[in-house]
Amino acid sequence: MDDIAGIIEGRIPERVTLRVRSLTPYTSEFTSEQIDLLADIAEKYGAGYVHVTPRQTVEIPHVERSYINEIVKRLHEMGLSPGSTDRYLRNVIACSRWCLFNAYPMTGIAEVLNREFADRKFPGKVDISLSGCDFSCVRSRTSDIGVIARADVEITDRKCKKCSLCIKEPLGCQVDAIEITDYGVEIDRQRCIRCGFCTNVCRPGSLVVRSRGFDIYLGGRGGLKPREATYAGSVNGEDQLIDAIKRILDIYMENAMEGERLSDLIERQGDAILEVCK
Amino acid sequence: MTQEQDRGFSLEMPSVGIIKGVLAKDIEVVGDKVVNLRTCARPYRNIYSAAQLRTIKKISEEYGSGKVHLSPRHNLEIPEIKQKELDRALHELYIAGLFPGGAGTSVRNIFTCPDWCDRAIRPVQELGLMVSHNFGDRDMPNKVTISFAGCMNGCSRPENTDIGVVAIVEVGVDNRKCSDNCNLCIEACPFDAIKKNGTGVMITETCQYCGRCINVCRDDVLKATRTGFKVLIGGKEGSTVRYGSEYKRWVEDFEVLEIIDLVLRRYTELARLRPRSSRKKERLSEVIERMGFKSFIGE
Repeated sequence: MDDIAGIIEGRIPERVTLRVRSLTPYTSEFTSEQIDLLADIAEKYGAGYVHVTPRQTVEIPHVERSYINEIVKRLHEMGLSPGSTDRYLRNVIACSRWCLFNAYPMTGIAEVLNREFADRKFPGKVDISLSGCDFSCVRSRTSDIGVIARADVEITDRKCKKCSLCIKEPLGCQVDAIEITDYGVEIDRQRCIRCGFCTNVCRPGSLVVRSRGFDIYLGGRGGLKPREATYAGSVNGEDQLIDAIKRILDIYMENAMEGERLSDLIERQGDAILEVCK
Repeated sequence: MTQEQDRGFSLEMPSVGIIKGVLAKDIEVVGDKVVNLRTCARPYRNIYSAAQLRTIKKISEEYGSGKVHLSPRHNLEIPEIKQKELDRALHELYIAGLFPGGAGTSVRNIFTCPDWCDRAIRPVQELGLMVSHNFGDRDMPNKVTISFAGCMNGCSRPENTDIGVVAIVEVGVDNRKCSDNCNLCIEACPFDAIKKNGTGVMITETCQYCGRCINVCRDDVLKATRTGFKVLIGGKEGSTVRYGSEYKRWVEDFEVLEIIDLVLRRYTELARLRPRSSRKKERLSEVIERMGFKSFIGE
């Protein structure tokens, strides 16, 4: 029983905290039935409440140890699973599908990664965060592997009708990179964060998305020794991104010493590991 | 907020947590306008009771699409609620002690780690409760994030938030008791702050007060002599990463409240529009970068 991931020792003997992640049908979202089951378990076996963690898992505190097998069985029936602790791959988090500023819905990729690697053990903790735009609510820039979706915006020949939807509240450019001049619309490429949102509101079609891609950042971490992730490269397309992440995880598996995180490996071996994304 | 207090108590719900949304991109768009409801739990912002979870289940089934998204700041988001049914959904939320919030230019959901974690040097949930009573959802020039962490592992990322409060512990050495040369504490120290000192050990200046060594010491040589909080202000995360500067060390619970009040008031006074922008105001980190840390805190 000790090899089940997701069990955290607490302050009370024989009572443990159970960290629960969703594996199906969604991993960054819970369905209403899953929420109901969590409520039932918290009430029946735990203290009657749950804690929502920063990595899109739910913790059920003060669960009696002897009931764990029973609970795990019920969780598996609903597509939930205890996990995301210790050196197992931590829950891959993605921002919400319905956010307006998404350049790309990242939840699908998170689901693929979560299902594939949920039970894989690594030399150290691995955080993967997938963000749909540069604002990165899921903290891509301080995760071991951070992904930010990009949409390159192009100005077409279609004439701007100066409706100024792309610069006004609430749907206009969030970083004030767009300017409307006498000749049409202009984008300040220094300021543009390439979220591609302006193309959604542009009715004449002056602004369109030319290409979508993903930037990969490696080696960030929080905690005792915070470190900002380094930009490692860009890929186009979902499959290439999943391939790149698999390659990074393989290299990390092979080279890292016990207890080392990706940031430690990069610091020890230099930037050579960053080349895998290119 | 102050205007509302003048008018007396009102049952009106805050509207900041109602996020204008589009339907998920892989779902066929229907004609109705939809919103996403970001909910905050009360009293503790990180804890949802079983009854509250059932309410969320009921709302997402009746008015939404049967899904609930977990946000990285303890919010549960109920997506795709039809605009015309929003009032009924809000009413049910309110009965269960849940509120919309944690969005827009306000003090976002207070971020705390749970009380039952056995790594915590000091429990921070109660402190988070006091802060959310006093400052939660207050209207600000731009978004303000406040995080509490019970140990320096910082699961709630206090170094990357506008105001981060971290529990720290001072380690005292009793060399008379150190009998075996186990060196466990030297290995455990992440900052190489413990050095050999004759038969015992000594703690050098690089100590960051994380308390890792206390947990591994078998002989009671290393003991906590005092605990407190350190307050970091001006961190941010997102498009750019900035780490908070240390405002004060060894503060007590009520002092934390005073500091947060002071920082929020200074920030409200000093925040200007962003350069070249006509509608967005600076965040705390930008104010500190423009003015310098010393002049921001009024030294």
